[in-house]
Amino acid sequence: MKIQENLRETARKLLAGGEASLVIGYAPGSEVSRVVPAFISREEEVNRLVWNPLCINNLAKYLLDYRYEPGKVAVVVKGCDSRAIIRLLQDNQIIREKVIILGIPCSGLINPDLVAARLDPGAQITAATVSKQDFSLQTGEGTFTFTRDEALLEKCRDCEHHTPVIADFMLGEEIPPNDPGDPFIAVKTLEELPVEERSAYWDKQFSRCLRCYACRNVCPACTCRECVFDQAEPCWVAKANNLSENTAFHLIRAFHVAGRCVDCGECDRVCPVNIPLSLLNRKILKDIKDLFNVPTPGTSLEELPPLGTFTNSDPDEFM
Amino acid sequence: MKAYTITRDNLGAWLDALARDYTLIAPVREEETVSLFKPVSGFAEINLGYTNSTVSPKGWLFPQTEEMFFFSTGDGQITLADAQTPGPAVLFGLRPCDIKGILVLDPVFNGAYQDCYYQKRRQNTILVGLSCTRVERHCFCTSMGGGPTDGGGADLLLTEMDGGYGLEALTSRGEELIHRYQDYFIPDRDNRVTAAREELGKKLAGQFTRAVDTTGVKEFLDENFELPYWGELARRCLGCGICTYICPTCHCFDIFDQSPDGESGVRSRCWDSCMFSHFTRMAGGHNPRPTKKERVRNRFLHKLKYHRDRYNLDGCVGCGRCVTRCPVNIDIRQIIADLQEVARHE
Repeated sequence: MKIQENLRETARKLLAGGEASLVIGYAPGSEVSRVVPAFISREEEVNRLVWNPLCINNLAKYLLDYRYEPGKVAVVVKGCDSRAIIRLLQDNQIIREKVIILGIPCSGLINPDLVAARLDPGAQITAATVSKQDFSLQTGEGTFTFTRDEALLEKCRDCEHHTPVIADFMLGEEIPPNDPGDPFIAVKTLEELPVEERSAYWDKQFSRCLRCYACRNVCPACTCRECVFDQAEPCWVAKANNLSENTAFHLIRAFHVAGRCVDCGECDRVCPVNIPLSLLNRKILKDIKDLFNVPTPGTSLEELPPLGTFTNSDPDEFM
Repeated sequence: MKAYTITRDNLGAWLDALARDYTLIAPVREEETVSLFKPVSGFAEINLGYTNSTVSPKGWLFPQTEEMFFFSTGDGQITLADAQTPGPAVLFGLRPCDIKGILVLDPVFNGAYQDCYYQKRRQNTILVGLSCTRVERHCFCTSMGGGPTDGGGADLLLTEMDGGYGLEALTSRGEELIHRYQDYFIPDRDNRVTAAREELGKKLAGQFTRAVDTTGVKEFLDENFELPYWGELARRCLGCGICTYICPTCHCFDIFDQSPDGESGVRSRCWDSCMFSHFTRMAGGHNPRPTKKERVRNRFLHKLKYHRDRYNLDGCVGCGRCVTRCPVNIDIRQIIADLQEVARHE
């Protein structure tokens, strides 16, 4: 809970001193397994802020809503989310001087469905501890322990940056980067299938897309003032929901965020019909790493997006 | 009301027969956590063990994309041709909340203004309900005037019971369907089916994790359009359309033409979402709902006030899908409770 106390105290100081006009963090949601993005602008409200292994949402995206507001905005980021901050800075979507980054070294998150299955939905988490072996959540009804094997979120298994890569305040002890192993195993397995099977695989996935655009709206790489999919004239992709248009939507989106996708996994999390979008985006991440020998986008401020810069060593075999 | 029983084996045989004679739309398990209503070729494809389908089954009566008519031009003339009308269909395995969702759509498309597309599909479709056997954690149908074994609105209601299923014919159309396939059914002479359904209903009534009290909420909203609450709620909304697309009662659509050669093509309509920023954007660029605040407020006023103003029906049936899937935990159960709280302090 030390991180949570640090978070509240830091937020209190920032708001009291007028250094920040808003703190974006996490607060308890409508049931024990959920947290919600919280927007705190008054000192008295900082005790709503929580930090526990259910804090999944990438809050960096919300900075876009406040970029033209006066005052500085403080935002809570985990390691994965911090890459999105760098991405937004590199594209001049946000101004460094107007953002205060509250970094949380994160040891992994818990699958909310397991929490929902075991805990009373009305309970409140009073304390949480994460160890190398398990997650423990304390509520008024006792302590509930989940092993990491059963409960760790899929995206956290491949975590590259437990500690945020950029922060003004680090609210916990830094966790050294680990070797996540090969994050591209699933991509490689799919790549090995014959082209007809790969095509059939994605056809099945895209055919059930609702075009609700949650993957786009949650994505920190999606920052266009007017999205290509919202344009009526010219109509690049029709509103008609069918395999052809849905495929066009997903492929255009994947190519559009290529080199800028920070692999935060939010698109995967939000899809209501479980389309494995991170698999699609990771295929492109992998290709870009192979072609340009660059780290995951958002890893460092100096490393510019490979498709947004030019160097003489770029591969140009198609020219 | 006439009741029948059917064995598990006969249920499979009956569904195979239905799939031969009608377009049969039924719940299909797409993958581990996704179930959808789709046309099926027989019993083997159907999953009756689902609780709530990921997307509501409204899409058969109001398809996500529906062709309205074809057009062609030439010699200064415009020629129109009707789109194909779907034939007789059975929408099978509807949970009670989704049947209620159809009753909420009926006055929109089939009330004072007759929508020929919806009307044709509705007339051609027999609704077969399926009582719930468990309550999911986001279900709150009982708070919205429904119940897990209330099949009102369906033509037939199926309920799992010892040794098979009970079947109650709720309309003459349901009764006719039973007659057509009478060899599969055994008339229920001692009222066992209704008793079993009522008992199941009592058992499930105690399993809801959260009840909401809508008392006074509509009246409060009648008097209070501007509330700081909507601005606060909207801050976390992502402006995606998940809630509206999976909802059994949302019914907004957009109309568009597709004409690859500029001379002939098709006019279609497709689902649209009031949560999208361009939903209310007008040709001149003005947008009467310019921010997420106005859009979020509109969605909840539609569910809790406007639908009642227009049709005296709640715009929400308590299926809980939006609660389950909202990426930022915008929870209509919590909103109803919050509005009660705001009303107390006004």
